[in-house]
Amino acid sequence: MTFSDLNFIFRLLPIFLIIYYIMPASLRKWALLLGSLGFYYLNEPRLILVLVVMTVINLLFAKLIKRTTSKAVLAVIVVLNVSVLGLFKFSKLAGLSLIIPLGLSYYIFKMISYQVDLYRGKIEEVSFIKATDYFLMFPQIISGPIAKFSYVENNPMWLKAEGAKKERLFKILTQIEEGLKLMACGLFMKAIIADHLAVLWSDIKVIGYESISTPLAWLGAYAYSLNLYFDFWGYSLMAAGIGVMLGFPFIRNFNQPYLSSSISEFYRRWHSTLGEWFKDYVYFPLGGSRKGKGRTAINIFIVWLLTGIWHGYTANFFVWAMSICVIILFEKFVLSRSPKLLAIIGHINVLVIIPITWVVFAIHSLSSLRVYLLRMFPVIDVSVAVNKNDIYYYLSDYWLYLLLGIVFTIPALTGFYKKHKDNILVVLCIFVMFFISIFSLSNSAGNPFMYLRF
Amino acid sequence: MKVKGFLLLSLITITSIGISITSFCLRNSVYKDYYSNFAKVPMEAVPFKAMTDGVFPWTKVSLPENKEEKTASSAVTVAQQEAREIKEFKTVDDSYFDDALFIGDSRMVGLSQYCAAIDSRATFFAKKSLTIFDIRNKEWIEAEDGTEMSIAKALEGKHFKKIYLMVGINELGTGDEERFRKVYAQVIEGLKYLQPDATIFINSIMHVSEEKNNTDELYNNTNINIRNEAIKGLADNRTVFYLDINEAVDDENGNLRAETTGDGVHLKGACYEPWHQYLLEHGVE
Repeated sequence: MTFSDLNFIFRLLPIFLIIYYIMPASLRKWALLLGSLGFYYLNEPRLILVLVVMTVINLLFAKLIKRTTSKAVLAVIVVLNVSVLGLFKFSKLAGLSLIIPLGLSYYIFKMISYQVDLYRGKIEEVSFIKATDYFLMFPQIISGPIAKFSYVENNPMWLKAEGAKKERLFKILTQIEEGLKLMACGLFMKAIIADHLAVLWSDIKVIGYESISTPLAWLGAYAYSLNLYFDFWGYSLMAAGIGVMLGFPFIRNFNQPYLSSSISEFYRRWHSTLGEWFKDYVYFPLGGSRKGKGRTAINIFIVWLLTGIWHGYTANFFVWAMSICVIILFEKFVLSRSPKLLAIIGHINVLVIIPITWVVFAIHSLSSLRVYLLRMFPVIDVSVAVNKNDIYYYLSDYWLYLLLGIVFTIPALTGFYKKHKDNILVVLCIFVMFFISIFSLSNSAGNPFMYLRF
Repeated sequence: MKVKGFLLLSLITITSIGISITSFCLRNSVYKDYYSNFAKVPMEAVPFKAMTDGVFPWTKVSLPENKEEKTASSAVTVAQQEAREIKEFKTVDDSYFDDALFIGDSRMVGLSQYCAAIDSRATFFAKKSLTIFDIRNKEWIEAEDGTEMSIAKALEGKHFKKIYLMVGINELGTGDEERFRKVYAQVIEGLKYLQPDATIFINSIMHVSEEKNNTDELYNNTNINIRNEAIKGLADNRTVFYLDINEAVDDENGNLRAETTGDGVHLKGACYEPWHQYLLEHGVE
């Protein structure tokens, strides 16, 4: 059950919020823990065991690290966490077919982050409830954002509130309102823009890449890029919004990446909590950029190699990660000599190269990928039965969602939201967006294919 | 104008409660057909689902039997049918499609887009997610001015000699095979009335791939075969014929050939030729 499930929106979340806020402030962290366990159990009834075992092991090690401040102990638990992640992710390569527990990467990344921050002295005490809430909290367990532990440390809603009952209730309701606005915007991005563009991308797969025209191949690349962007950004906004409803600070995972003036900047703005994780726990410990150009290049290479492997073990992820790595190195060491040139080529890279890299990301089979890229760049003719007018057919069906995607990519929109989010017209607009999303979700609910009707 | 407080929360809460109450109160009238799986479709979703079909809380509840029972099997049609002789299939060439009409769902859309030989000659009334119920009840054919019209309107002043039909996969989750057969029969009767000279070809519902067949509880070949069996009997081999096009597209196990499909349901753009050839081999003069 994801956040865009109607039963989550209309049943689980409101019921949980009521229970959460009826509790005395000091018990709310326990409510969150129980709620999160329940949520995870609904989604993953059997493999919840992996989560529980890993949580217990990490808590035991945390106590040990706090007491001994031993690097060896830290190394053991980090290796253990990574091994568990690797075991599930790559079991297929060893001929085992283990099911990957839901959100495994995300909670393991948080566990590693917790242990390292503890070792570095950034976490004052090992609190069972705060640590488990951090690992398990339901807004983040399925696919991030990967918060730092500090995220759970200062939740004003967990402290006994001052003031009269009415005042406290007002404070709670305005807090929920703030989160709800973010969640509604995220829901719209996911249910309206991303989910509809996903159908365009799947239609292209249905036709077969050898039978798409070159313009449609490009349209597909941009449609998939927008689909991925709004699927993930929308999801992240919903997750952040639910967090805000519970009293946590807003956590930003996407910061207008397509505005970036280089690919390295793009990846600081895209899924930035993952980027920061790699920076803090891989790139910096390796020496970052402080040990000369050669080492910097190697460190960037290692980070991207791991990023590629983390996304999947099929060859396309390797190609994807390595092509980004090469461009980043090129930007860093060659283009950076001329800031003007970097600004121009950087923007082109973001707006043209990035969509191409997403195609590489999306198509797992290298032979299919070759066909798709050759349809984008028809230097060799691999086409079979192409319908030259196919792009018009798809544009007439999907123009609205493509247009919405482009409009929501405009950076000014975020600024406008921040400035005017309390304006009555903006609130009404979000209200309408919310029910448009519900309308769309209702018509796909109970349909295992989402919008895929034949 | 700024608002402090919780306007959005209030609006959403009130609206949701309003929708739930409406949905619950009308569960036995307007929304009767829409209450199915409570766990998957919460009652808030019901009014929105119904809205897509043009059903609103104030919509009058009509008895579904009204339309369905009127199977226009008048004595005249029966007499006409029996006057015609039983015909056999013959191989024809592409000019056979010059006065043909193709009606169907996304699979038919695919045929129009990727089989130039037919598309350049025939007329297509094909639409993604089209069902036999839509053909009968809805205004779904786009006119040149962008408005939508019913099949009766679209066929006014037109003269087709052959009509090919392929629908049925979208209906798998709706009603049973008996209802499907009944509505299919009504559509055929309607088409006969609108185009009295036309030969009607029922294309069997195309199978899905083995992988899809094994993993999908609904869209699998067992369910497709049940529906195909139901409509097969509508053919009289005089004016209505049944084309088992799965003969042309299946593998040896009776599943859609894996290499010809990207999603297990639709033919790839390059793979419409076997269907085309099958139609050429199954003409009726």
